[in-house]
Amino acid sequence: MSQHTGTSRAKEKSAAAMVEICSVRLAQGLFGMPISHILEIVGSTRPQPVPLAPGFVGGLVHYRGDVLTTVSLRQLLGMPPFEGPQAILVIETPVGAYGLLVDSVGEVLTISTAELEPNPSTLDESRRDLFAGAYKLKNTLLVMLDPEKLDPIRLGAALAA
Amino acid sequence: MDELTREFLIESQEGLDRMERCLTDLEARPGDTALLAEIFRSVHTIKGTTGFLGFKRLEKLAHSGENLLGLLRDGKLEATAPIITGLLQLLDGLRSILRNVEADDSEGDGADTELIARLEELQAPAKSAAKASAARPQAASKAPEVAPPPAPIAAEPAPQTAAEESQPEPEAVRARAPQATSAAESTLRVDVTLLNRMMNLVGELVLTRNQVLQATSADPNMTLLSRRLDMVTADLRESVMKARMQPVSNVFSKMPRIVRDLSQSLGKQVRLQMEGQETELDKSLLEAIKDPLTHAVRNSLDHGIEKPDARTAAGKDAEGTLRLRAMQEGSHVIIEVADDGAGIAPEKIKAKAVERRLVTAERAAQLSEREILQMIFLPGFSTAAAVTNVSGRGVGMDVVKTNVEKIGGKVELDSRVGKGTTLRLRIPLTLAIIPALIVRSVNQSFALPQGALSELVHVSAENGGTAIEWIDNAPLYRLRGKLLPLVFLDRLLVPGADHSAENRSTFIAVLDADGRQFGLVVDGLADPEEIVVKPLSAALKGIGLYSGATVLGNGELALILDPGAIALKAGVTMAVSEEEAAQAAEEEVAVENTAAEFLLVEVAGRSAAVPLGDVLRIEQLPASRIEYIGYRPVLNFEGQLLPVEDSGGILNAVQGSPEAPIIVVVCRDGGRQVGIAVSHVLDVASGSDLFEAGSAQPADGVTLLKDRVTSIVNLGGVSALPAPEPAPQPWNELAETLG
Repeated sequence: MSQHTGTSRAKEKSAAAMVEICSVRLAQGLFGMPISHILEIVGSTRPQPVPLAPGFVGGLVHYRGDVLTTVSLRQLLGMPPFEGPQAILVIETPVGAYGLLVDSVGEVLTISTAELEPNPSTLDESRRDLFAGAYKLKNTLLVMLDPEKLDPIRLGAALAA
Repeated sequence: MDELTREFLIESQEGLDRMERCLTDLEARPGDTALLAEIFRSVHTIKGTTGFLGFKRLEKLAHSGENLLGLLRDGKLEATAPIITGLLQLLDGLRSILRNVEADDSEGDGADTELIARLEELQAPAKSAAKASAARPQAASKAPEVAPPPAPIAAEPAPQTAAEESQPEPEAVRARAPQATSAAESTLRVDVTLLNRMMNLVGELVLTRNQVLQATSADPNMTLLSRRLDMVTADLRESVMKARMQPVSNVFSKMPRIVRDLSQSLGKQVRLQMEGQETELDKSLLEAIKDPLTHAVRNSLDHGIEKPDARTAAGKDAEGTLRLRAMQEGSHVIIEVADDGAGIAPEKIKAKAVERRLVTAERAAQLSEREILQMIFLPGFSTAAAVTNVSGRGVGMDVVKTNVEKIGGKVELDSRVGKGTTLRLRIPLTLAIIPALIVRSVNQSFALPQGALSELVHVSAENGGTAIEWIDNAPLYRLRGKLLPLVFLDRLLVPGADHSAENRSTFIAVLDADGRQFGLVVDGLADPEEIVVKPLSAALKGIGLYSGATVLGNGELALILDPGAIALKAGVTMAVSEEEAAQAAEEEVAVENTAAEFLLVEVAGRSAAVPLGDVLRIEQLPASRIEYIGYRPVLNFEGQLLPVEDSGGILNAVQGSPEAPIIVVVCRDGGRQVGIAVSHVLDVASGSDLFEAGSAQPADGVTLLKDRVTSIVNLGGVSALPAPEPAPQPWNELAETLG
């Protein structure tokens, strides 16, 4: 099930602050999640929908004897639903875990934190809360996701507020 | 906190629990040296360890307690009520310091001087008495004066004199000690989170097993292996579940103290009887019923049992009785709190409910006695005229009810004015695995807990348009002449979408959730399954309709529906369910005892009567369902084998045609069930006793039904099956409801 893709150490900088980031694809966009927060990557799943659940909930999946609530990044960002099975990043939280539904998982990149730029001030406020800046890659930008802010419990509380 | 301190905390708490039990026992048998030795040991152990760990405050307090206990143990002092009160205070004092240690690793800075002084004061008479006895030998004659009445315990040999009794019995103490160690060696403390984890993993294993079984079913080489896996998994699941079970005595043991303290502060005399303490229940459930049970006991003492003078005036024993009883019944544990107090007067409840505006005066006048009794479970209801510091703090019986229902249990209340009140808590054995019916709706599977399900109705596609009737936009179904409100699961879950109910075969699951009866309309049914309940994330709890999720045997996930929440969301209101009405009718019959209800049946041309209270079901089934053990007809009914009585030769008549429908009335006879083959079910009628001419004895076996003498079927006469029957449980009759 677990498919940790090969690491590409593209930039062997001597800087102490090197981070390993798992890159994921969502439509045309490239997003990243620090691998320190990822418990496991589960490929090709179809979560069970939960009627009447808040919009961001992608459904439930069975994960190691527990029922895992997933957050659909597409639904969260207002994108049309994905046709076919999606991949799940199982993200560890202080009280448990949740799943993040993405279209596909790419390679793990080792990047220097020096390449990280904060969110632009023009970014929509609803997005600014979910993103933690972006890394400048050679030919594209890698938008960082904030694992804490994507926690369904937090999203649910924010929705209720 | 280091390991040593934690160990000490657990051990001390256990010691103090034991001490509490012994202290309340001691009150009944003040001279029991074994009890005194046990209490002494608990305090002594604490003192010894505290000195070692450097808890000075604890050590000092335990030391002064030990001094007093030493005198008691050596027989220099009698365990009088003030001394026991003092010792209980010592217990509370030790507990509160232990709590401090647990919370922040320090003893807290309270001073126990007052308590220590009190404990020393209690030692005083012994010292002076000891001196006196040394000086004057006749002081010994004082002993019988303070001696308690002979203690009624089995372990005690022939009645002893007070002097003998107060002698320490070192042999007995020594004999008990090795026993205690051997018990300690064979048991092990296990962290509850580890048990929960094990339970989780076992659930996972069950699932994997199901999948393995499906995958290997075609391969004959794997059959043996997979069957073995199947067996081991089932055994393992059972063992882990058993590991989580604890005897209810863990909760019951707190009660003597509560009863003692409360009855003293209320000026009442109460005797506590406890039965069935060895009955086991899942740990989490035991935790959950602790508060409701305590509340029920407080309520009984405060509002139920009267003051001694009022009791004597009413011709009752001045000492009231509170009975706590636990027993297992099928997949439930019944816990009863019964008192022989004043009971609940329906008029008072009615007046109070009207006053609190919980019900209008007009409505109240129409309510039956049973419905009125149910009102004490309404939020904001308290029958106590005055708010005492015991109960009536704003939390009422509604809390008991909600807490018990939260864990899938039920609360029943029974009260007779002047006779007493019985509160019955019906708790499922375990929460983790429940039987559920899998239903389909909006192309998904949902699990419906069997506990709330009373029956299923199939509405075929061609009937769909007419079977379901509408008043404006409220769908209804006529269930045996009564209108049942319906809730369409698909409309509830996906509001706004197009749900054309017509031209589609549907099923109605008739549910009874906390007295709210309604039909849940679903698209399809799958097999019932034992499901492992998994909690839902807090993000989904807000929806409110689901009580959890589960993984089905085919690997699919299913949400568990919460019938109570669905009823609430759909606006189904409380109604007295048929079951309750029938029960109420049954009870009225029992009270009046003049007329009894009978089911009138026809057996081969003759009419006969079956007591309605004993009828469980009327089944129409093909004759082929009847099987034979030798020449005895039996029916496999819901997994149980019933002997079938066929006095009318009805089964013989249809022997040639296996598809011929026959009617079997399933009845209860004591602890067993029997079936009676009948030609027709005619009616329900109430019959009265017939008196034999010239005697005042009601005639047996016949009754007057609709002015005709009708014979009553003698259920006891149906002979048992050759296989040994389980011993009938005497509680079946009381606890079982008309099912």
